Amino acid sequence: MTTWTLDVEAPLGRQATVRRWRLGNGLRLLTSIDRGAPIVSYQTWFGVGSRHEQPGKTGMAHLFEHLMFNQTETLGPGEFDRVVERTGGESNAATWVDWTYYRLSLPARDLALGVRLEAERMTRLVLDPTTVEAERDVVTNERRERVEDDVDGWLDEQLMALAFEHHGYRWPTIGWMADIRGLALDEIRAFYRTWYAPNNACLVVVGDIDEPQLLELVAKAYGDIPPAVLPVIAPDTEPPQTHERVLRAPKPIATDRVLIGYKAPGQAHPDWPVLELVATLLAGSPSSRLHRLLVVEKELASSVDAQLTPFRDPSLFRLAITVARGHRAEASMAAIDQALAELASAPPSPAELNKAKSLVETDFWTSLTDADGKAEAIGHHEVALGDFRGVTALAAALAAVTAEDVMRVARTYLGRSTRSVVIAEPDPDGDPGEDSEESDDGDEALGDDSEVSA
Amino acid sequence: MTALAGPRGSRLHVEPSGDAPLVWIDIAITGGAALDPIGIEGLHRHAALLARRGAGLRNRAAFDDALDGLGAALEISVGRDSVVLSGLALTRNLDALVELAADVLAQPRFDQDEHERLLRETPQVLDEVRDDDSALATRWFDYRCAPGHPYGRTALGTESSLARITREDAAALWRAEAVCDNLVLGIAGDVDVARAMAIAARLTERLPATGAPPPLALIREPAPPGRRLVVVDKAERTQAQLRFGHLGPRWGDPDTAALLVVEAAFGGMFSSRLMQEIRVKRGWSYGAGCAIRRSRGPHWIEMWMATAIDVAGPATALTLDLYADLAAKGITAEELDFGRAYLVGAMPFHLATARQRMQLAVRDETFGLPVGFTAGLPGQLGTLSVEDVAGACRRNLRPDDVVTVAVTTAEVAAEALAAAGAGPITVVAHDAY
Repeated sequence: MTTWTLDVEAPLGRQATVRRWRLGNGLRLLTSIDRGAPIVSYQTWFGVGSRHEQPGKTGMAHLFEHLMFNQTETLGPGEFDRVVERTGGESNAATWVDWTYYRLSLPARDLALGVRLEAERMTRLVLDPTTVEAERDVVTNERRERVEDDVDGWLDEQLMALAFEHHGYRWPTIGWMADIRGLALDEIRAFYRTWYAPNNACLVVVGDIDEPQLLELVAKAYGDIPPAVLPVIAPDTEPPQTHERVLRAPKPIATDRVLIGYKAPGQAHPDWPVLELVATLLAGSPSSRLHRLLVVEKELASSVDAQLTPFRDPSLFRLAITVARGHRAEASMAAIDQALAELASAPPSPAELNKAKSLVETDFWTSLTDADGKAEAIGHHEVALGDFRGVTALAAALAAVTAEDVMRVARTYLGRSTRSVVIAEPDPDGDPGEDSEESDDGDEALGDDSEVSA
Repeated sequence: MTALAGPRGSRLHVEPSGDAPLVWIDIAITGGAALDPIGIEGLHRHAALLARRGAGLRNRAAFDDALDGLGAALEISVGRDSVVLSGLALTRNLDALVELAADVLAQPRFDQDEHERLLRETPQVLDEVRDDDSALATRWFDYRCAPGHPYGRTALGTESSLARITREDAAALWRAEAVCDNLVLGIAGDVDVARAMAIAARLTERLPATGAPPPLALIREPAPPGRRLVVVDKAERTQAQLRFGHLGPRWGDPDTAALLVVEAAFGGMFSSRLMQEIRVKRGWSYGAGCAIRRSRGPHWIEMWMATAIDVAGPATALTLDLYADLAAKGITAEELDFGRAYLVGAMPFHLATARQRMQLAVRDETFGLPVGFTAGLPGQLGTLSVEDVAGACRRNLRPDDVVTVAVTTAEVAAEALAAAGAGPITVVAHDAY
């Protein structure tokens, strides 16, 4: 299993080339040489995210983002971070719905160390009760900081739970508090054995590398790791949404906060780039339609943002609004409805369309200016969507969007019947509401002070 | 990196790179929020944002249309020591971006309607800060750490200080500070030195050569003695956002290299003492760290964490104990060796891209430091001894004068915090400042 096959070679950006190699055990290695600095970004992407969890066991994938930095069979507690930091490098990780990835940023001279460390923790992690309980406490504190005491985190979590009834995108990546507390050690070990395997992993190495040396190092370190039998995951399906869903809850905030999610296609769908351009047209710059309408002209909001989530399966086109002092959410939402109706009925001018295209082109190049950024773009497209060449294909698709495409997707996706809305309102008395307390019922999406309508 | 005498008394740093068809331009105007007049806090921010809202023949809408039409950006950031205009454009649109930036520098309109609109908007930014516990803790810590110090002056302002800002004051401030010998220019990306020089000339040709007010005096005012505890009361908190610290030395002080190692060993890495004691051993906080604030003048040494509300008291007591131990004993030989290795190895990551190299050079210049000061710090670490570092700790760390700020729900956490040895307690409403 130690022989490499060069699978694909393709350009990325102005000067870079990406090569995809495969090892006999299913491990993929994507390389891109960048000699701009004597550093290397070494990322390990696993095809497991929060969508692969089960209800009642949420937060498992994210918990590994913590556990993977602890003890292995040859590294004592805390040694992983110490050997990385001694080089001047740093390590981090991220978990989202479709993937988990681990990042090592290392001096180029320490590439061999990175290979050894990552191969070690792919299959030789030690999961003992002491380690797991310590990290469980850290994760509950992370959740308090990012969700319980953060209105934006709360809005995000509630929107996904409201918009999705069955799909694994329904629960938060960090997990419900009750689930985090309840994950059992044997379940945690089983999750690791199931998903952390070379045939579910993709290494992305960008930087000042000697590629033949890298291939040799990786083959030696990973080549004997056997592939796992990966579960066959039935496609997550979500019933069509036919009515608007609204959730309101009081929070200790100054003005209304609104998060709207319109059902949108997955990132591989041909309409996804069009919606990405629509997000830029609506709220991607100071002259964008919604910013100018809500923030500048009507002064109904202090900020508005649009985001299309880059998920494999159908997800959400999101609008986030912070309502201005003296106004309520309804006025902003009425103005948004009007703006979306206009977008669906009249094409944007060539100048407006070209503006949006120039903005996304600038974003595209900006995302590729450092080794970590390149590796993240490559890894996401390879693992979430199946092919790193999607990075360049997406840029081309954005450049090809027409005014008619914009009108069509606005009509298709941005209607009220397929949207979900979460509104956080100032709590008039500041008393703690049930919604902000932790619950053990396993489904913390709604608190007693929350009101749902459909 | 090429450091040049820029046109007409300005200073210029150029970092060419052909990696992408992009060019970054930073225009640092020395004189930031620390120089806001007392009682008119927020003036620098107001003037800078207003200058960006219409210039030359273009009102705000026309300016935004022109800029966005290029796919470009021209953003304002207001720091303690400078106001920075940061431009980004595709190479093919660079000249047009430069024309817009030159208009902002030389011919801002300061339209009355935009002045009034900005005065309505800024209090809403204050609301957003108050809704964000981490930002709120930093705002209160800055305010209470060293009362009267220029770096305690809020860049955003307060409701009452904003009410005192006039359009005329904002325009006058801009015209006084946007002068050639008060500018540090940085250009990075898809340009060569000759083109960068031409851009710098275009940016400065309509500006006065001199006349800026003097920069912030580099004085180190005596810090108020004794520990103090401020509980910023906010409803429904499950955590306490904690800040600890006191006035420290300036970035560039002779002790900077030694304190850089102390920062790394105590709270700058995952392996550091704070992270190990607070997060790894006890699980009390997701993160814990410390930093010496990088500024032109003496600024804070600061620590931070966000603990569950029921352990805020013990976490505060432990942090103060750890800090007192650090001040008394310094760091171990092993920590010095480890921190040195980390800092030397980490520097290439801070200098990896043309934009990073340019921004670091511009920052050093606005701080009044020699070219390459920060990038050269790792080179000073080799000769440091444990005794050198301990001396720097004794001279600069003041554990008996630490100010603690906690954003939390007072009725739940105040009693435990008051018992943590953090000094006399003051409870304030979260929106009182």
